[in-house]
Amino acid sequence: MSILKTDNLTFKYSVGTPFEVTALDSVNLEIEEGELVAVIGHTGSGKSTLIQHFNGLLKPTSGKVIVDGQDIWESKATLKEARFKVGLCFQYPEYQLFEETAFKDIAFGPKNMGLSEKEVEERVLRAAEFTGVTSEMLDKSPFDLSGGEKRRVAIAGVMAMEPKILILDEPTSGLDPKGRDQILHLIRNYKNETGSTVMIVSHSMEDVARYATKVLVVNKSKIVSYDTPPKTFSRAEELESYGLDVPEITKVFLELKKRGLPVRTDVYTLEFGLNELKRLREEGFKL
Amino acid sequence: MSNISIGQFFPGNSIIHRLDPRMKLVLTFIYIIVIFLCKNFYALGVMVLSLFVIVLVSKIPLKIIAKSIKPILIIIIFTAILNVFYVDKGNMLFEWHFLKVTTGGIYTAVFMIVRITALVVASSMLTYTTSPTLITDGIEQLLSPLKFMKNSVHTIAMMMTIALRFIPTLVDEFEKITNAQKARGADLETGTLLERAKALIPVLVPLFITSFRRAYELAFAMECRCYHGAEGRTRMKVMKYSKLDVFASLFILISTGGVVALNILFPHLI
Ligand SMILES: Nc1ncnc2c1ncn2[C@@H]1O[C@H](COP(=O)(O)OP(=O)(O)O)[C@@H](O)[C@H]1O
Ligand SMILES: [Mg+2]
Repeated sequence: MSILKTDNLTFKYSVGTPFEVTALDSVNLEIEEGELVAVIGHTGSGKSTLIQHFNGLLKPTSGKVIVDGQDIWESKATLKEARFKVGLCFQYPEYQLFEETAFKDIAFGPKNMGLSEKEVEERVLRAAEFTGVTSEMLDKSPFDLSGGEKRRVAIAGVMAMEPKILILDEPTSGLDPKGRDQILHLIRNYKNETGSTVMIVSHSMEDVARYATKVLVVNKSKIVSYDTPPKTFSRAEELESYGLDVPEITKVFLELKKRGLPVRTDVYTLEFGLNELKRLREEGFKL
Repeated sequence: MSNISIGQFFPGNSIIHRLDPRMKLVLTFIYIIVIFLCKNFYALGVMVLSLFVIVLVSKIPLKIIAKSIKPILIIIIFTAILNVFYVDKGNMLFEWHFLKVTTGGIYTAVFMIVRITALVVASSMLTYTTSPTLITDGIEQLLSPLKFMKNSVHTIAMMMTIALRFIPTLVDEFEKITNAQKARGADLETGTLLERAKALIPVLVPLFITSFRRAYELAFAMECRCYHGAEGRTRMKVMKYSKLDVFASLFILISTGGVVALNILFPHLI
C-alpha cells in the first residue's frame, strides 16, 4: 500500500477574488514507503503548495489527500494524526527557532505530541545525533549558532517528531557547498536508518541525481512525471521545456550522442558515466 | 499577493486610479466635509449620486466595496438604533414604557446610515485606487509648504512609507512562521485565552527577530545608497496635475454647489 496518495487534488489561492490562482490542478500521485523523492519544478510551479497539503496545512479546494490509507480531512483527529505522521520542514527553517536553547527548540515538536519527558529527551538526542548537533550546541541559544548549525537544529526539530514521512522544502538553499553536502548526507542517513519516506524539494539536479530514488516533476500546477532519476533525466528536452536542467554529466552524454557515439543518454552519475565510457572502449571505440 | 492581506489597494488603470494622489487626498477630504454639511436627504442624495459615479468610473467591483463596509457594520447598526429611539420628532409610531419610535427617529437613523456608509466608501475609494506609497508621497508633498518643519515631514513620511511597505511582508512572515510551528504540532486555535496567548510565543519571537534583522539590513542598504534625509533630495517620479485632475475638481465643486443650494432650499431633514 502506498504511504502517500492524492486523489484529484486541486488547490486555488484567494478563491473568489480577482487574485485567484490555481496552484494545483487535479494532481494524482502515489508514493511508496521508503522512497527518497526529489520534487523538482520551476519557481512558482506549485511545489511548496503541494507539500503543504500532505500534513494538512492547506485544505484542498477539491480532491483528497490520503496518508497511510487515511483521508486526512475526514475528521479533526485524522488531521491531527497527519500533522505528526508527516513532518514538514519549511524553506529557511532557521527563522522558526525561538527557544532559549537549541535543546528546548528541538523538543518543541515532541512535546506538542504529548510524549513523556523521558521520551522527549531521547528523541531530541537521537535527532541531534542524526543532524550532527553536538551536546555543546544543544545548550547554546539557537541564535548564537552559525547559519548551517541553525539549519541543522531546525531540521532536527522536525526529525525529533519521528514522522513516517519527512518532507523538506529546499533544505539546502542559501548554504555553502559544504553545508549543502552535510545536509543531504544527514537526510540520506536518516532515511536509511529509520526507513522512513523522505521528500525533498530541490533545485540542484546534481543533488537529485545523487540522492533521490524517485523524481517528481511539477510543471504549471500539474505533475508531469514521477519516475526514477535515470528515466527522468533521459528526457532532457522535455525537462528543458519545463524550464529545468539536467545534471552536467547527462549533458555530456547527450552531446556525445549528438556527435554520433552510440552512448546511453540516461547517464546521471559520474560512476555510471565512467562505466559507460569503459564499455565503449571495450567495444573498440577510440576515445 | 500580499496586497490582498491588507485588503486595500486594488490595482487598476481607471480615471480615478490615474488622478494625482495629492488631488485625490484633497478631494476626498473635501468630500467628507461636505457629507457632514448635508442638512437634508436631497443634499445627501447628491453626494451619494456623485459617489456612485466615482465608484462606477473606478471599475472596482461592488463586492470589494461592500467588503470595506463590513468592519464598521456594527457601528452603523448601533448608531441607527440609538437614533431611532433617541430622536423624538414627528408622528409617534410605537410606544412601550420609555421606548418611543417616531417618524423623525426613523428618518434620522436612515440619514445616519447613508452618511456613515458614504463616508467609509469615499475614504476606501482613496485607498483602493491609490497605492500606499503614493498616498504617503502625496501627504508629504501636501505638507511640504510647512518649510520650517520640512525635515520632520520628510522623516515621518519616510517612516510611514516603510511601515506600509512592510505590512504585507510582516503578514506573510507571520503566516509562514505560524505554518512552520503548526507543522511542529503547535496548537494555536484551541484552549483558554491565556493558553492561546502563550501559544503565540513561538510565532512572535521569530517574527520580532526577523523584523529587527530586516530593519538593520534596510538601514544599511539605505545608507549604502547615500540616504541622508530630505536635504537636497529630488524625486524620481515627479507628480504632475493633469486635465483629469481639473475635471475631478470640477465634479466635486459642482456636487458641493448642489449641496449648498439644496441646503438653503430645504432647511428640514425631509
Ligand atoms: N500565499 C499565497 N497566496 C496566493 N498565491 C500564492 C501563495 N503562495 C503561492 N502562491 C502562488 O501559487 C503558485 C505556486 O506557488 P508555490 O507553491 O510557492 O511554487 P514553488 O514552491 O514551486 O515555487 C504561484 O503562482 C504563487 O504565486
Ligand atoms: Mg517554493
